[in-house]
Amino acid sequence: MSEATTDGAAAPGPGRPLTAGLRRPRTHLRLAGALLLLALPFYLDRFWLQAGLFAMAAAIGAIGLNLLTGSTGQLSMGHAFFLAVGAYGYCVLAGESSTQNGHALSGLGLPTWLAAVLAVLLAGAAGGLFSPIAGRLRGAYLGIATLALIFIGQHVLFNAGSLTGGFNGRPVPPFSLFGFTFDDTETVVAAVPFHSFEKLWYAALPALAVSAYFARGVLRGRPGRALNAIRDHRIAAGVTGVPVARYRAGVFVLSSMYAGLAGVLLALVFQRTVPEYFGMVLSLEYLAMIVIGGLGSVAGAVVGAAFVSLLPQVLTHYSDSLPLVSAPGTGGVAPGEASRYLYGAAVVAVVLFLPGGLTRPKKPGENR
Amino acid sequence: MKLRVYGAALAALALAVAGCSGKAASKDGAAADRSGVRTGEGVTDTKITLGALTDMTGVYASLGKSVTQAQRLWVQQTNAAGGICDRQIELTVRDHGYDPQKAVAAYTELEPDVLGFPQFIGSPFVSAVEQRIDNQDKGVVLPQAWSANLLSSPYVRVIGATYDVETINLIDYLLEEERIAEGDRIGHVYFEGDYGENALAGSRHAAKEAGLTVVEQKIKPTDNDMTAQVSALKQAGVKAVVISAGPRQAASLVGVAAATGFDVPVVGNNSAYAPQLLATQAGPALQKDYYVGASTLPIGDAAKGPAALAEAYTAQYPKDGLDNGVIAGYNAASVFGEALKKACASGDLTRDGVGKALLTIKDFGADFGVAHDFTDPAAPSTRQTVVMKPDAKAPGGLKVVRRAEVAPAAESFTAKH
Amino acid sequence: MTTFIELLLGGLAIGSVYALIALGFVVIFKATEVVNFAHASLLLAGGYVTAVLHDDIGFWPALGVGVAGAAVVGAAVEFLVMRRYRGSDHSVLAIVTIGVDILITTELTRRMGTEVLSLGDPWGDGVVTVGGITLAQTRIAAFVVAGLLITLFLLAFRYTSWGVSMRAAAENPQTAALMGIRLGRVSLSAWAVAGALAAVAALFLTVFPTPGLERATSFAALKAFPAAILGGLDSTTGALVGGLVVGVTESLATGYQGDLSFLGRGIGDLAPYLVMLVVLLVRPAGLFGTKELARV
Repeated sequence: MSEATTDGAAAPGPGRPLTAGLRRPRTHLRLAGALLLLALPFYLDRFWLQAGLFAMAAAIGAIGLNLLTGSTGQLSMGHAFFLAVGAYGYCVLAGESSTQNGHALSGLGLPTWLAAVLAVLLAGAAGGLFSPIAGRLRGAYLGIATLALIFIGQHVLFNAGSLTGGFNGRPVPPFSLFGFTFDDTETVVAAVPFHSFEKLWYAALPALAVSAYFARGVLRGRPGRALNAIRDHRIAAGVTGVPVARYRAGVFVLSSMYAGLAGVLLALVFQRTVPEYFGMVLSLEYLAMIVIGGLGSVAGAVVGAAFVSLLPQVLTHYSDSLPLVSAPGTGGVAPGEASRYLYGAAVVAVVLFLPGGLTRPKKPGENR
Repeated sequence: MKLRVYGAALAALALAVAGCSGKAASKDGAAADRSGVRTGEGVTDTKITLGALTDMTGVYASLGKSVTQAQRLWVQQTNAAGGICDRQIELTVRDHGYDPQKAVAAYTELEPDVLGFPQFIGSPFVSAVEQRIDNQDKGVVLPQAWSANLLSSPYVRVIGATYDVETINLIDYLLEEERIAEGDRIGHVYFEGDYGENALAGSRHAAKEAGLTVVEQKIKPTDNDMTAQVSALKQAGVKAVVISAGPRQAASLVGVAAATGFDVPVVGNNSAYAPQLLATQAGPALQKDYYVGASTLPIGDAAKGPAALAEAYTAQYPKDGLDNGVIAGYNAASVFGEALKKACASGDLTRDGVGKALLTIKDFGADFGVAHDFTDPAAPSTRQTVVMKPDAKAPGGLKVVRRAEVAPAAESFTAKH
Repeated sequence: MTTFIELLLGGLAIGSVYALIALGFVVIFKATEVVNFAHASLLLAGGYVTAVLHDDIGFWPALGVGVAGAAVVGAAVEFLVMRRYRGSDHSVLAIVTIGVDILITTELTRRMGTEVLSLGDPWGDGVVTVGGITLAQTRIAAFVVAGLLITLFLLAFRYTSWGVSMRAAAENPQTAALMGIRLGRVSLSAWAVAGALAAVAALFLTVFPTPGLERATSFAALKAFPAAILGGLDSTTGALVGGLVVGVTESLATGYQGDLSFLGRGIGDLAPYLVMLVVLLVRPAGLFGTKELARV
């Protein structure tokens, strides 16, 4: 592992005029890609839109985890906990107090945009609260200590009924901004009926873009170099004047905030929070994402997130027409199992044969 | 400037979108076929498509497998008999492996193409999509979960007594057999979550009615060793134990209790037993003093319904064992079929029509020992429970010890909503 | 009081099984500095082989094959996967073991399907009662066997040449290699030993009072994580103590959940992790772990 940002970047360098950047083929590709993403809700059906939304939320979470694990070398198994803080935080802040199945649910009833912002900050604060432990542990110790967060999280989600709704979860208030609500009421745009998923698409896309842009900024600037230095040699980094403790705590908080944002988005897609979701498997999936995509790079996190969250959907959807995969209940390898094989194998194969992940097929350092 | 080119491209794209998106097609409302039957999603002139959201690779794999295979069998039999409303039935199955994201995704995937769901395993996931079912989709969903939290929706209909009612009936059985009496303590070992906590509401109610005290022990689905729970219950001096957990926990509890000389009767909900347990160390103990409640006869019963189903199922799936999931699945599919027939007769095979037809079904399913009544969405389809006992000799490993009955305490009980 | 002693003894017995798992975990960490998240699948593999074979060849031979089988699977993971990694980041290797775990566990659970497999052990559901305190025979066997194996292991670790090379490799891999110790062999043997220990643990996790081997058995391996960390990841004594602490904590927290209900019920799973966090706050390297001394 070395330099995190070797991705041959197309961003216009400081000394280069903007138009020069615009003429490069890479830029054209990116703009075309962005246009395509913007147009998708007009064509895809709800299933694929939902799959895409899950992937985008996962991408935001994975970018956060990649800052922590990929760039700074701090193994975290507790990412699902911070996702839960974001998701439930949003519900509590935005939801109204109500009664559900005989349990009282408390909520603050804040405007939803404010609740979303506060939920992200809340996840960051949760990350900050963990820093007395995170600050003094490294490597494996930190990994397993963060595993404790998952168990604590599950316990709280099931038992703090008035906040979390217990096993029933909580209904998620639809997001609204400037009077426009991202809910299931039908809005017709250019003859295409828009429901919640179509609308949320246009909330998720900018959220992902801003998250990615911000993370790229962090990684390419001074903080990124400091984080990589901490990963590669903590003591040497300290000796050269990097405030190691402050950076480590900071990146933990930042990564938690990314998880919180992903959690808010997931809650909006699910429309109801389910405590079972925020378990250990979810944390492991996020780790698989950043390894498959490429450790330490923003694009890697996005590609990995798309791979891990879309793979089971694709396999299930086309299980009828794929060889070796059989429909459930007919014997043979079920699609669910097939996708687990594939992503287990992908994690192993990527690390062994493509150490830079899918986004950087060359070994880091070779192209410099 | 390039930017202008992109601006133009964007505008062109927006125009193109309006023109050629498949989604822009006019809203496909209900249509009527030649014979005047109104149809909607999931129904063509020759085919009715139903969806099944099951778990074949997760924690409820054994239930999911039996239910799905039984429903495939029902589809086959129904089609062989000419189908329903001159249409063949098709069952599209999606395995979610008890993963919330996959379950919700599978629902979204199948929902536009099916008339309804005769199977949906995992009550947390049913709750997760319940809002969508109630407010937009309005297709009938028959969950294979017996939580009272699922009642009240006109579209999500629980088949059988809910866990709370079942638990009250089980405690009633113990009272009737004079295994426990007023003033006694009873233990309740229950799963964290929907199932266990709903059952706990039942045992609390039954205890209040009968003057008992409940000693609670909450466990997680990953706990497999009930030694500590048994020690605690023994210490508390309970006279009987209710278990609302999975088959493994029941086997461990009963096995440990028997081995340590803690001779009390144990009763469990329908999900707390699987015939595979008889082959384990706890097998003999289970056959001694363990009772299971359910809203159907056991598959090994000599009555006509279970016997015919057992024979057909074994012929179709000779390698797979019989269990009560087979009846649960088949029964749910039959209820759905009955609703389809009624909807067809009234000329409305849309989701709305099927939902209304289901609300008129009464006295259905007596073949399996319990008659179901679907006219009140806020109540379970029955309050009766059959009490059974594990028996290695019976197919499916259960025999009846008390036919379907309702305890007085269960009659009056309504879950809080 | 009887209940307390019963819970304590039950906790110690199951804790000794956790110690076996944690020991394997620590051995791998010492030899290779890798956190092995695939430990659960090694455990499942050992149990599965034993369960499949015991009907045909009897329990003890089946157990022998199961232990050997898990050792081979462990060694194969080392040889086919871990050894091929060219980088030096140990957290990447830890994530690779997650991938390995998914592969092996999916394959085994697919084979097991919905069955609950019996391992055919000779103890059955026998119990021993002394002075009103009842304990399952399997638990006593677990305690004795785990105690023996751990003693044996510690002796081997101290006195055999294998143990010496292992300790040397853990101390300083480069120096050890220069002294003629084959690091590949050391890490291969560490994985094999961990697999064998996990297979024995699988036996005791699936006999009475638990119903048998099935897909959820591997969750028990998760208990070894707090055990290993609590004791100190690079300390074999720590694994032993950590395992016992986790077992006892879990047993007492479950048995007395009625008195702890202000924390929410069902705290048994969580309690070991809380103890672990408290220990880590005071001693970041665990109870017996060596503090990191950095050379720049």
